[in-house]
Amino acid sequence: MFSWHGRLARACDPAGARPPCHMRDGRVMTAIPANLAIDNTSDDPRRRAPLVLGGLDFAGITREVSKVAERPMTLAWKISFVFALSWLGILGLCIGYLFTTGVGVWGNNQPVGWGFPIVNFVFWVGIGHAGTLISAILFLFRQTWRTGINRFAEAMTIFAVICAAMFPGIHVGRPWLAYWLFPIPNQMSYWPQFRSPLLWDVFAVSTYATVSVLFWYVGLVPDLATFRDRSTSKIKQFIYGIFALGWNGSARHWHRYERAYLILAALATPLVLSVHSVVSFDFATSQIPGWHTTIFPPYFVAGAIYGGFAMVLVLAIPARQFFGLKDIITMRHIENMCKIMLGTGLIVGYAYMTEFWTAWYSTNTFEKFTFWNRVFGPYMFGWIIMTFCNVVAPQVLWSKKMRTNLWVVMTCAILANIGMWFERFEIIITSMTRDFLPTSWHVFKPTAIDLLMLAGSFGLFFTLFLLFCRFLPVVAIAEVKTVLPEAHPHTHGPKPSGDERKADFRPDQPVFA
Amino acid sequence: MKTNQPSSARGMEYWRSLEHLADGPEIRELMSKEFPGYDVDELVSGSRRKFLKLMGASMALAGVTLTGCRRWPEEKLHPYSTNPRDRMPGVPVQYATAYEIGGVAQPLLVTSYDGRPIKIDGNPSHPFSWTIQDKLGSADVFSQATILDMYDPQRSRSVVSYAPARAESSWEKFAAFAKSHFAGLKSNGKSLAILSEASSGPSMADMRKRLLEAYPGARWYEYEPITRDNETEGAKLAFGKPVRTVLNLDKAQTVVLLDADPLGMHPAHVKYAADWATGRRTADDGKMSRVYIAEGGFSLTGSNADVRLPVNPARLYAIARAIAGKLGVADIPADEKLSDLETKFVNAAVTDLQASGKDGLVASGGVMPPAGQALVHAINEKLGAVGNTVTLLEDPTAGDVSHGQAISQLATEMAAGQFTTLLILGGNPVYDAPADVSFEAAMAKAPVSIHLAQYENETSQQCKWHLPQAHFLESWGDARAWDGTAGIVQPLIMPLYEGKSAIEVLAMLSRDPITDGHEIVKRTWAGLLDKDGFDLAIRKVIESGLLPGSAFKTADVQVKSQEFPPSAAAAGGYYLRFQPDWHTYDGRFANNGWLQETPDPLTKLVWDNAALVSKKNADALGLTTGTLLRIETAEKYGKHSIEIAAYVMPGQPDGVITLPLGYGRSAAGHIGDDVGINTYAVRTSEGPLLNSGARLSLAPGSYVLVSTQDHYLFDTIGMEGTEKRIGHKNESGMIVREATLTEFKENPRCVHGNGTKRTIGLQLFQEPVKLDNVPDTHAWGMSIDMNSCIGCNACTIACQSENNIPVVGKAQANMHRSMNWIRIDRYFKADDRHAEDPGIEVVYQPMTCQQCENAPCEQVCPVGATVHDTEGINTMVYNRCIGTRYCSNNCPYKVRRFNYLDYQAQDPRQNWAKPYLNIPDQQQLDEVNKIKWMLFNPEVSVRMRGVMEKCTYCVQRIHRTTIAKRAEGTPLMDGDIVTACQQACPTQAIVFGDLNDRNSKVSKLQRNPRAYGVLQEELDTRPRTQYLAKIRNPSSEEVKKEA
Repeated sequence: MFSWHGRLARACDPAGARPPCHMRDGRVMTAIPANLAIDNTSDDPRRRAPLVLGGLDFAGITREVSKVAERPMTLAWKISFVFALSWLGILGLCIGYLFTTGVGVWGNNQPVGWGFPIVNFVFWVGIGHAGTLISAILFLFRQTWRTGINRFAEAMTIFAVICAAMFPGIHVGRPWLAYWLFPIPNQMSYWPQFRSPLLWDVFAVSTYATVSVLFWYVGLVPDLATFRDRSTSKIKQFIYGIFALGWNGSARHWHRYERAYLILAALATPLVLSVHSVVSFDFATSQIPGWHTTIFPPYFVAGAIYGGFAMVLVLAIPARQFFGLKDIITMRHIENMCKIMLGTGLIVGYAYMTEFWTAWYSTNTFEKFTFWNRVFGPYMFGWIIMTFCNVVAPQVLWSKKMRTNLWVVMTCAILANIGMWFERFEIIITSMTRDFLPTSWHVFKPTAIDLLMLAGSFGLFFTLFLLFCRFLPVVAIAEVKTVLPEAHPHTHGPKPSGDERKADFRPDQPVFA
Repeated sequence: MKTNQPSSARGMEYWRSLEHLADGPEIRELMSKEFPGYDVDELVSGSRRKFLKLMGASMALAGVTLTGCRRWPEEKLHPYSTNPRDRMPGVPVQYATAYEIGGVAQPLLVTSYDGRPIKIDGNPSHPFSWTIQDKLGSADVFSQATILDMYDPQRSRSVVSYAPARAESSWEKFAAFAKSHFAGLKSNGKSLAILSEASSGPSMADMRKRLLEAYPGARWYEYEPITRDNETEGAKLAFGKPVRTVLNLDKAQTVVLLDADPLGMHPAHVKYAADWATGRRTADDGKMSRVYIAEGGFSLTGSNADVRLPVNPARLYAIARAIAGKLGVADIPADEKLSDLETKFVNAAVTDLQASGKDGLVASGGVMPPAGQALVHAINEKLGAVGNTVTLLEDPTAGDVSHGQAISQLATEMAAGQFTTLLILGGNPVYDAPADVSFEAAMAKAPVSIHLAQYENETSQQCKWHLPQAHFLESWGDARAWDGTAGIVQPLIMPLYEGKSAIEVLAMLSRDPITDGHEIVKRTWAGLLDKDGFDLAIRKVIESGLLPGSAFKTADVQVKSQEFPPSAAAAGGYYLRFQPDWHTYDGRFANNGWLQETPDPLTKLVWDNAALVSKKNADALGLTTGTLLRIETAEKYGKHSIEIAAYVMPGQPDGVITLPLGYGRSAAGHIGDDVGINTYAVRTSEGPLLNSGARLSLAPGSYVLVSTQDHYLFDTIGMEGTEKRIGHKNESGMIVREATLTEFKENPRCVHGNGTKRTIGLQLFQEPVKLDNVPDTHAWGMSIDMNSCIGCNACTIACQSENNIPVVGKAQANMHRSMNWIRIDRYFKADDRHAEDPGIEVVYQPMTCQQCENAPCEQVCPVGATVHDTEGINTMVYNRCIGTRYCSNNCPYKVRRFNYLDYQAQDPRQNWAKPYLNIPDQQQLDEVNKIKWMLFNPEVSVRMRGVMEKCTYCVQRIHRTTIAKRAEGTPLMDGDIVTACQQACPTQAIVFGDLNDRNSKVSKLQRNPRAYGVLQEELDTRPRTQYLAKIRNPSSEEVKKEA
């Protein structure tokens, strides 16, 4: 009954040879010997749960993470890559057809001016939320478990934002003029129209993308130096060398790095909240019933975090399996993410209920009709899928047993992504199919191009993600090391032996001496 | 600050002037004055390095924007080296002319732009097309759309000989053939038969006479698939001679229509609609005409009637007899057995007719048998309506033989081998002759057949010779309006192809010394006008488009006393009711994309025809809209059948299937081929408009019918939602408001129902500036009277023509991407929304951009492509628009239209979007047919793909007029500016004007208690367009019951 602590204490130190490390706050941290399946998911406030298992030390972490990129390409990677790349190719062909023909290749119609492209845009922007949340907000709140997952969550953010940013660019009727959305005055000094939320969108998403990329890259620098130093090929050394910016692990470098990271985290934190709020303004400030709702900003942000964490799980669970990172991305990480999913999922469910309450309480005929139509109208299936995936499904995560069952978690995460896509579909499309004048009501039917482009955007996402896995450290090596007990030398535990130290000494290692 | 260094220190120097080179303090001061805020050093230093830097950046930017290296399309200019007199390039000129359809002229005024006719309107000098005398003329959908036919690249271009195989020939070859062939016919004229369309023009009559003189014994037949045979026969029965009836709907208090459609498909419907509206617009003064209709289908007039009874057409005679009996006509006993609904209808109608006396009238349509027609004449005579609400005119154009008989007779004679030569002038008898006549087979017996037609159609393909017919805008002619007023048809352009008019061909064949159309017309008119001053007189006729006083004489006739037999029982089986189609009329407009895409007023179908079935019959047969229906004719007319998609039509009488004609063409052209189903295939010689004894069965499969409204509405949620918006029957809803006349008289504000009245004090954006007291400022506004609107679509086509609106095609229309800037929303209202309700009511609400003051579209456009102008118009800047479609999403009226594809350049018959590999804004230059190109109104941008567009109150017309007035120095008066939709509206339901002018018509209308802004109370959009609520005038019995 009593937590991991008892079991762990026995397991790792049966003979009491190694006394537990005492942290400054009085809690105990213990190094975990190798080859022991440890359950680190329990919470004992007196003891800090280990975040790296498998007895990995500094060198071990470097080795394990670098291995992913250094070993020869596996067949699984090759197949996945070819698969993702072919979908990317299909996306390219679709865009080519779109550009040579017109946006009429989609199913958009008269009442439904925005169809799949904007649904996909909002969906991908939402996915892009978790990364920066993990990297910035959890960093500021000193949630050290973030270190195991932040790197590829951030990568996922950037790739999702790329997918997202593509859609508004190509959805406009004359995409070659999409740059008119940027604040550049034309030859008549005519500026874009600053009252339009679509313009705020451009600012919000581009700022978010910029800060996310910077944040990601700054975090990568020490690890890129590790790769530079470990690689045997001249070309790799050269390329990693360029991007490592001459990192040599000096105290001064570490100092600058920590400052920069902290500042960026502080900058990125409000963006996590702002970007999806601004995206929601596209709808909230317009007057279509079902769009014109003040609840949208928090509702969108909660939904985005819910969907974003789901996507991190969808990527993390297979990744830790295939790349052998189970000791770094532990069950504890997964469980924590499940908890966030459950929490934000509850907010989303609450928001759904609030919408209905407001529709009823407002006595606004159009508003009431829209929500009634959403549930019982022609898009009933969408509403059912959305409600099931976003409200019902996450409820299983109340149970720890379910949270620690990878199949259940994976299913929940996939459902959450489907649900969040349908949420956007419901908001955007059902609201528009039936607005004020019944004569302009019309259903929306996606065309083949719509569906291929949606699939193609996943092709783009996974192509980028697979390339990332292949060429960049999927886990923040330097950061994970900071959560090892050894990274806290002020404790009274035994020092690593001299040999270990020597073997472990590399310029990229953080030195907390 | 830098000093004037020796130039060698900086390398090569570039300078603008010696003073500049010297760089003295004066020049610096001058520079700082000229460019305040700039660093003088920066300005004066013109180093090579800086020059290269700037040039490099410019080149790079030019490359980046992709436009720097654009090769713009080359065009050649052809200026007038000497300007012709009275010709101002770029200033449109208008000419009067006329278009003859079914032997009746539609008087027109055509706008020509630098020699290209681009727009057709009604002739404001002509009583049969003016809505405001000498100011506004209206033309119907067909007349307006003929301009597209004129520029149809598929119109026949040359003489074609079909013997033995199709080969392009020439007029010379045909003339050579005709010379020898027709010489042989001179002696034996009997072997020549001529089949022409109905015509009324004096020149045609003259040429006919001349031809028959040249070939004595030749037979001349007239055939129109849509005829007024029953009316003519009825008049003969009543008066002993053909008489033409003209209704004066403006004078009528009670109008009882027995399957008549004066507002819809009647040849004089423009005038009738205008007159009808005169009797309706007085609702504001508390009186209004009352219209009863009993009909066997659902006509446009039926949808505007106050009391409507759907009946089996077989019952029409019985109803007429019952009415006559009750009114005491010719001792007819009131012994008709009527159903409850019929009795109610007849009693109510009779009560009102008796009260109105000579201000009442009864009229019947082509479905009514001749005896019924005669009975209607008798009723009118009894009421004293003749000479007041009904005018009877002599009809010299009516032949001895009815059209139905003519075609059968000709076919029989041809089949007997009586004719060696058949000359067909216009028309398409192979396609539209009655199914059991087998005209095609009979025609094959004539060794030589010649067909003059605008298209190489089904008939041409069965002939030996096809001759291209000139369009009426290309040829001289003349025609008479419904009342007989003669006018001259003048051309506006030389024939685009090699067409000749019918009179020219007749002149050629009858060896007339005069073969030129203009000369033929002049010769004929020499007999109609005084010899003295003939040139001036004919010029006046040509200019005004009519000869005043040339109308048919009033007929001095009395109904012969006769026995009106009791009505017979209805025949078994289903009745098939044929009607001219709103898209193709009788099939002649099948290749006209505008008409194909203009929704049918009631079904809102586009690009198709369907069998209209009542809800009860549909349930009994187990069919829904889109189910394929197999229709077989009565056996005695042979086995003819078609399979056609059914459309469940509310208000359709049981036992009657309405079949619109004019579809299923096989040789109409690219647009019209294989669209819809040919219903002529089941139309027998039993009657042109009504056949009995048809059998119905379901055919396997279904069919996609495309309508621009009510797609997928038929779930409960949608129905309930709609009901709240449009209101229950006889009640005002949120967007559609109405009241009965009695209610309105008691409380004029009652039309607004219980709608919330609220004013929103707090505004997010600045209030629009009010410029009431500033001279020469305007606030444009519009008023649309739902009480006058009859839903005829004239505005839609007018707008399409004026504003270069493309045709999107059936597949795109099915995706709900029609481009019409003004659409007519049609709402049905019935008890508990049951389609079976016989008293179903219709509301038409023309919907176009409302030009909101608080325009939701303007606030959301990220590039500022839709902006308010100082005169209150919500303008579209097409070349600024990048197509985010946000404006359309936020528009509560959904009146914005988006070019999802390049609809001008795309083929409307193509079901998939064709890629275009060149630069997109060149697509139209490459792809649009150069002949069609000539149709575009040069004052309106032709929009490319990816651009949003919408109604702008015809801003080009506003500016053309205001600029002209300013140049003249005369003030702009109310009514000077007329929008295209307003001009076309026969009932003046649309009024445009200046709201700053308190006395303008539109200001007054917007102060009318019936006025309201759609969604104004809900959304505070402050629309500049206001609607006037509909007023209904239920029967006095109904009113009594209410009281």
